[in-house]
Amino acid sequence: MASRWHRWRLQYQLWRADDGLADYLSALQPLLQQSSLEHVPLVALDLEMTGLNAQHDQIISVGLIPIERGRLLLAKAQHRLVCIDGSVGQSATIHGIVDQQLQASTLTQQEMLIWLLQMTYGKLMIFHHGMLDIAFLSRLSQQVYQRPLHVPVIDTLQIEQRRLMRDRHVIEQGSLRLHACRKRYHLPLYAAHNALIDATACGELFLAQTAFSHWSKQPLDDYLFWF
Amino acid sequence: MDESELLPIRSFLEQLVPFSELPIDTLEHCCRALSIGYYSKASVAVPLDENNPMLYIVRSGAFEVRDADGELVDRLGEGDYFGFPSLLSGEGISNQVLILEDGLVYHLPPAEFDRLRLQHRHFDRFFNRAYAKRLRHERRFKNRDAVTTNRISSLISAHLLSVAADDSVTYAASLMRSQHVSSALVLDGGKLVGILTDRDLRNRVLAEGLNGEVSVKLAMTQHPVSIDAKALVFEAMLLMSEHNIHHLPVVENGIPIGMVTSTDIIKSQSSQPLLLIREIERQQQLPELIAVSRQIPQLLQSLISADARAEEIGRILTSVTDALTRKLITLNQALLGEAPMAFCWLAFGSQGRQDQVACSDQDNGLLLAEEPDAPARDYFQALASAVCSGLNECGYMFCPGEIMAQNPKWMLSHARWQQKFFDWVASPDPKALMHASIFFDMRAVYGPSSLFESLQQSVLKRTKDNDIFLAALTGNALTESPPLGFFRKFVLERDGTEVKGIDLKHRGSALINDIARVYALSAGIAEVNTAKRIKRCIDAGVLSRKDGLNLADALEFIAHMRLANQGEQFEQQQPLTNFLKPQTLSSLMRHQLRDAFKVVHDSQAALRLKFMRSF
Repeated sequence: MASRWHRWRLQYQLWRADDGLADYLSALQPLLQQSSLEHVPLVALDLEMTGLNAQHDQIISVGLIPIERGRLLLAKAQHRLVCIDGSVGQSATIHGIVDQQLQASTLTQQEMLIWLLQMTYGKLMIFHHGMLDIAFLSRLSQQVYQRPLHVPVIDTLQIEQRRLMRDRHVIEQGSLRLHACRKRYHLPLYAAHNALIDATACGELFLAQTAFSHWSKQPLDDYLFWF
Repeated sequence: MDESELLPIRSFLEQLVPFSELPIDTLEHCCRALSIGYYSKASVAVPLDENNPMLYIVRSGAFEVRDADGELVDRLGEGDYFGFPSLLSGEGISNQVLILEDGLVYHLPPAEFDRLRLQHRHFDRFFNRAYAKRLRHERRFKNRDAVTTNRISSLISAHLLSVAADDSVTYAASLMRSQHVSSALVLDGGKLVGILTDRDLRNRVLAEGLNGEVSVKLAMTQHPVSIDAKALVFEAMLLMSEHNIHHLPVVENGIPIGMVTSTDIIKSQSSQPLLLIREIERQQQLPELIAVSRQIPQLLQSLISADARAEEIGRILTSVTDALTRKLITLNQALLGEAPMAFCWLAFGSQGRQDQVACSDQDNGLLLAEEPDAPARDYFQALASAVCSGLNECGYMFCPGEIMAQNPKWMLSHARWQQKFFDWVASPDPKALMHASIFFDMRAVYGPSSLFESLQQSVLKRTKDNDIFLAALTGNALTESPPLGFFRKFVLERDGTEVKGIDLKHRGSALINDIARVYALSAGIAEVNTAKRIKRCIDAGVLSRKDGLNLADALEFIAHMRLANQGEQFEQQQPLTNFLKPQTLSSLMRHQLRDAFKVVHDSQAALRLKFMRSF
């Protein structure tokens, strides 16, 4: 299994440093020992950015919602806006966030990473297309902890892609987008575009993807993707 | 926290009764309390946790509530609720929720549910009503009274007995005596300030040794619990038992308009149809009888709007027809004199099966104890003609096929009727059978039951296990099929403008009647009502319990759709038809209707297998 190397690298990072990030990663260790999803605390996340380039663009908001025993808990959902250097620019029209709101919020980019690691401490993160989100977080990690973020996450896009390929579907352009995936599971259309709603949408998609059998029968390794 | 963060969830609840009536910040708070789950068909049923009851709000998918015996209670789609009965009653969960289509469900925890009920009356009322409705649907084959669906306004008398707070109790008591009531409202400047009951007079005046000069305000119960005129009778009962009281002031827009007592409620159980039947029985003249019969469409409407079970509506309307028929017979016998011999008035078809609805025509006949001589023949001809035209004037049209007692062909002696049936049974010509099948749904409306039963038993003896006859009857039952293909076509034609519609009678209810008839005759079962036939067939083991219950469900659902559709047509003053325009259906209804037709289709296949395999 390819994940063995990843697990080893995680071990190595823990051995090499003793800081907040190492603490965070060590809290993930016991989760990775689980054979099924049943007792793994989960949290669905979404980041909104000013663009798609992790080197130049910045995170403007974060939404997250914990999943316990197969249920998304709106009571524990969080939504935070993040300060950016410069202006939101064009993407503000997509996300509906204006500069003024951003300046009023308390978190800086680096604070946001620390806050996010606190919120997801001891939980496996679920993203839709996690590669992009992790790239952004990894750059912040570089700034705060002087090293990139290497974590296993659950990625609903990857799950969907694998499922479609297994069922010999031709994967058409756009068919892996969050809304297109949700449509296949008869999930409702959520028109709004904010990080919390997208995190909820991603969490629901994950529940739908795993609903066909009981969680105790779902091997954890099948769902892990390493970045 | 920014209030629009959960906008898509909030806007879903915003459009959902009773959440739609909540203030926006309450709704936002309510969204925050939700948890979200997804249920897949693969896990068959929603796992309901006894120790952790929730209000389940269906966001997508389709679900089915079945009781402990596996009987269908309700079908649910987007925007429907389940789990509320145990939240309201505090009792354990006895129902099962099966997953028909994968779906997303929001869960509202009990603390939030109770808070909303406490703070928002309409919210509380909505779920009490839903609970009442659920209770009504809980058991099939059982009569239910109208208590749960009638409104308070239908119970209160127009006359309001009220006294002023400064009146003496003697004055109040004398008013109550003259009005024959046990309570009075106490008003002060048009506002309700109290209620004075027999019990108050006993406990607060007599038992205290006070005299009759005491003012009402000292004896009355202050700030009485009251109920809105638009509330359901069921809710009044809840309130009464909750506060252990027997009198409820009724208010409309805050103004007291009357009183409802526990006695009124008990009386209301002897409901509207019974009154109509009593009125029919009271009439002594044909014109008055015809006038009374004009109330029948209104009765049907009120039954439909009370959401009564289709099977009950059919039975109620048929008992009205039966009462009318009997009254016409006795009225005319009073004119013609005593009958020369014993006879039975037979009802066939829908009246026989007790599933009459609007615009039924007549299907009847006369069974005479012996072969009549010429004067007897004249007597019965005169009687039958008078009764048939009387029915015609009461709104039951002459039968276009001439299957009526006034037709000499269907005014026969016991021996001749027997011969008729024996001929149909012995040489079942398919074409003849097509017209004859309604005769096998026969019932005596008037006359000695022994005469009728002797005919029926001799017929059933011949039909029981009679392979040739049953095969022919089955062939007859399979000439029409349910419109399953229609649904596929419908999907394609959804945007087309003119679709004729689905014939719910001839391609729905009638097919089930045909199926039940074959099974019942094969087992020699005397019952003719289709739902009861199905039940007897299950008991007798000729129909499996599962198939039987499914068929009974389908029967009720299709009949219900037909009635609801006619109710709508009536309200829009369109002619009543059996055609349902599928555009008007929600996707859940369409889903259920397709399921019901699928059951009919499968039952037809099973019927063919059972009775036609050797042909």
